[in-house]
Amino acid sequence: MIRALATATLLIGALTLATPALGQAGDPLLQARSQGLIGEQADGYLGFVPGATISADLRGRVEQNNIQRRQLYTRRAAERAVSVNEMAAAVACEVFERRIAMGERYRDEGGQWRQRTASAPVATPSFCGS
Amino acid sequence: MRAHLRSALLPALGAAVLAAGCIPVQIQAPDEPIEINLNVNIRQEVIVRLERDAAELLDENSGLFGGTTP
Repeated sequence: MIRALATATLLIGALTLATPALGQAGDPLLQARSQGLIGEQADGYLGFVPGATISADLRGRVEQNNIQRRQLYTRRAAERAVSVNEMAAAVACEVFERRIAMGERYRDEGGQWRQRTASAPVATPSFCGS
Repeated sequence: MRAHLRSALLPALGAAVLAAGCIPVQIQAPDEPIEINLNVNIRQEVIVRLERDAAELLDENSGLFGGTTP
């Protein structure tokens, strides 16, 4: 009985420790972003940086992530009676303002890949308004 | 009685649909070129209006997007 309780406590402890790690450095997508293999695009989806070697595993993860994004955009777009592309573009504006870390690459509205550096802050797409 | 009404109604409906299809529709070319610039303005307006929705989507699905950065 005591042993079972101890095992359960250990298990819960391990899970609690593992969960935040998954969201941080252990996340292959975040790793690939910081390595410059993939990046955010002005269309609201993730893209592959040209010339980068993309593993099949990473490709699958990116595509899965984009499918989930599209589902989110589609649902909210229907609620607001706008097009999916417009909803995606609105999210891209927020992403470009707050979710591109230093050193990460991103693709601007003209299709050009850029990198956020200390001297070159993220250029927000022109359709974002303010 | 009801069946009789339906049997009379269906052909009438069919005839109406057929007749509607036969009415000639005249399409006139617009005199002035269509204003395309308008679309850009509407688009930007829509995106500004969606700002709060976009922020909400990001906060509720932080696993799908990168973390908040300074």
